[in-house]
Amino acid sequence: MEAAVVDPGSSLLKAGFAIPDQSPAMIIPTQMKRMIDDGSMTDNPVVDEVAIDPVCRGYVRDWDAMEDLLHYVLYTGLGWEIGNEGQILFTDPLCTPKANKEQLVQLMFETFNISGFYASEQAVLSLYAVGRISGCTVDIGHGKIDIAPVIEGAVNHIASRRFEFGGIDLTNFLAQELGKSNPLVNISISDVEKIKQLYSCCAEDELAYQKTQNSCPVETHTLPDGQVITIGRERYTIGESLFQPCLLGLEAHGIVEQLVRTISTVSSDNHRQLLENTVVCGGASSMTGFEERFQKESSLSSSAIRPTLVKPPEYMPENLSMYSAWVGGAILAKVVFPQNQHVTKADYDETGPSIVHRKCF
Amino acid sequence: MYGGDEVSAIVIDLGSHTCKAGYAGEDAPKAVFPSVVGAIDQMDVDESDNGEKNSASAAESKNNLKNDDSDKAKGKRKLYVGSQSLGYRRDHMEVLSPFKDGIVADWDIVDSIWDHAFRECLLIDPKEHPMLLAEPSSNTQQQRERTAELMFEKYKAPALFLGKNAVLTSFASGRATSLVVDGGGGSITVAPVHDGYVLQKAVATSPIGGEFLTDCLMKSLESKGIMIKPRYSFRRKEIRPGEFQTVDLDFPNTTESYKLYSQRVIASDIKESVCRAPDTPYDESAYSNIPMTSYELPDGQTIEIGADRFKIPDILFNPSLVQSIPGMESFTEIAPSVRGLPQMVVESISKCDVDIRRELFSSILLAGGTASMQQLKERLEKDLLEESPQAARVKVLASGNATERRFSVWIGGSILASLGSFQQMWFSKSEYEEHGASYIQRKCP
Repeated sequence: MEAAVVDPGSSLLKAGFAIPDQSPAMIIPTQMKRMIDDGSMTDNPVVDEVAIDPVCRGYVRDWDAMEDLLHYVLYTGLGWEIGNEGQILFTDPLCTPKANKEQLVQLMFETFNISGFYASEQAVLSLYAVGRISGCTVDIGHGKIDIAPVIEGAVNHIASRRFEFGGIDLTNFLAQELGKSNPLVNISISDVEKIKQLYSCCAEDELAYQKTQNSCPVETHTLPDGQVITIGRERYTIGESLFQPCLLGLEAHGIVEQLVRTISTVSSDNHRQLLENTVVCGGASSMTGFEERFQKESSLSSSAIRPTLVKPPEYMPENLSMYSAWVGGAILAKVVFPQNQHVTKADYDETGPSIVHRKCF
Repeated sequence: MYGGDEVSAIVIDLGSHTCKAGYAGEDAPKAVFPSVVGAIDQMDVDESDNGEKNSASAAESKNNLKNDDSDKAKGKRKLYVGSQSLGYRRDHMEVLSPFKDGIVADWDIVDSIWDHAFRECLLIDPKEHPMLLAEPSSNTQQQRERTAELMFEKYKAPALFLGKNAVLTSFASGRATSLVVDGGGGSITVAPVHDGYVLQKAVATSPIGGEFLTDCLMKSLESKGIMIKPRYSFRRKEIRPGEFQTVDLDFPNTTESYKLYSQRVIASDIKESVCRAPDTPYDESAYSNIPMTSYELPDGQTIEIGADRFKIPDILFNPSLVQSIPGMESFTEIAPSVRGLPQMVVESISKCDVDIRRELFSSILLAGGTASMQQLKERLEKDLLEESPQAARVKVLASGNATERRFSVWIGGSILASLGSFQQMWFSKSEYEEHGASYIQRKCP
């Protein structure tokens, strides 16, 4: 049986069997709803629904919810049988605290009784997906943005940067803006999320952005409940805020500038290799106009060598940037598990959760 | 007391230039960031801007102060720690260092640095991890007590240990006796270690550290007309497709200290990539025809560096060279007492017992960022062969890996904290509560 690869993101959980060159079998939202069931039957069942996010800003926060989610994914989604669990590979974001890794290993071995476990960092996996072992990964996720230089498969932790800013902040901002321009309409956050994915785009450069702020074609969108809203220049603001976070009130530089600064802290022998093999992945990177804007910004950046984006290989599925970490995990799973470099049940029983720090890096 | 496997200790080395923090047992620190902070004094900011998040918490802590005047004097400062926060230019932001002459002067800044390391870089709860801190080889009792107080009272660490920099470096190379030459940002310290203890009377320090050399390089370049533009002060504009022009930006409210800090970052990168220790003592005439190396600055300017490549590192060996650099006149007052590196080493060893001198000469360790300069090891060995007594066999050891040399104090701490036999030596919270902070002198020799 193939090993299972799970990439728990803040917004979407990607899972599937380790068959590279294919997109993951399951791409489901990580958010869950807890139904509070009284057990008492009343005439009008008022069901209290609470939305729970087990993965927050990239890290697993709610372990009980995570357990339920994984139960669904592995047994119902992937078709594992109880008693015949296989091997599993997880992806971690940058700077995952040691305690989190240990807790995950413990959960997998003790509750799910798997036979083998491996964990790897998303930055490295995204590079594997495009066929490189060295380069720089810019992961624009829902809950965080990671910029990590990777050299020969090892992340340079000292130079890498992480921002507590991601797709969710863009959604909140869009909700605010839409609320201002459409005061009579009541929009829920999940609708705003969909609107963001449909309409947001990046202006060509700063001047073009300024123009859109003054005049922009306005589009109308019909919400599922029938209400009609108008979207104008907010679409461009979302894309622009990745390159100018001060629009959202954050005191930080744009993505390309941060990338250049991160690389400048690495020893200069590796600069060329890192900058010329830059991979951008994550949901926000599939915005219309993002790649062109990125290239434009990188030619204006204060660096001798321009960051160049890597083109994904042709045999990879479309939309690779949405789940490149998963695809990289599938590739890695095919190498690690047959060669027995993973954490086996015997290893875990002997040493305990701390084995994960020694075997998986 | 603490099993080495389950509970991972945290090792922190707060140096004068960078702070290194990470888990014990690993081979490199996870968090490395500058040990300076940006501070915006709230008094400078417009009075109407009362919506600052910090003022609420600062006001609460200030309620305990009886004197209203001391409120204003202390000022409510917002501190920005870490390379990301410091990299962003803000109006009125001053760059402050917690150190003054090598010892901690401002404990608030140290507090905020530790807080940043724990809560934002390592993402741990200090209550659950024993802490191993590296301290300067000649630290005062008062400083140690203050450190213990801060760690136990504020962070509620379960256990603490203060290890001297020289001892930790010694452990990192697997020796119990050695002479450690620690070239850090703020100073160079030469300290002999014997059987794991620093011989205090023989410790020598010199103010010529990495930052001093960076300043010399900056002044030298300035005198040649090359201005280093900080990263925030320019941007490139595309005037025609394919053609770029660098435009200067002006931010009148940027403080001098921030400008200097940004320039230093670039200058130290130049220093690290281009400078080499010369094989022979620097001589103006001999090095005037040296081929130049080019270096591209962030704003696109390419500069040629020739003689300075060798002159700057030679300051370590011959401090009087500084006087030939225009702009460094302030140094001439203390110049007579400052010795070159080989002289410091020989002096330090001669203050030790005769029996161990031989061993010290044959195990001289180089540590720290400044010591990872190219060719420094060879030059030091050569100079020491001339200065040392005939019978001594001089051997300078330095790890080949530049990362290991830079972080050797941290690595030594990581090794020490993960040893099984070390676990009984921790200074625990209960001992602190029972005996008080002064007990630290006994527990951490």
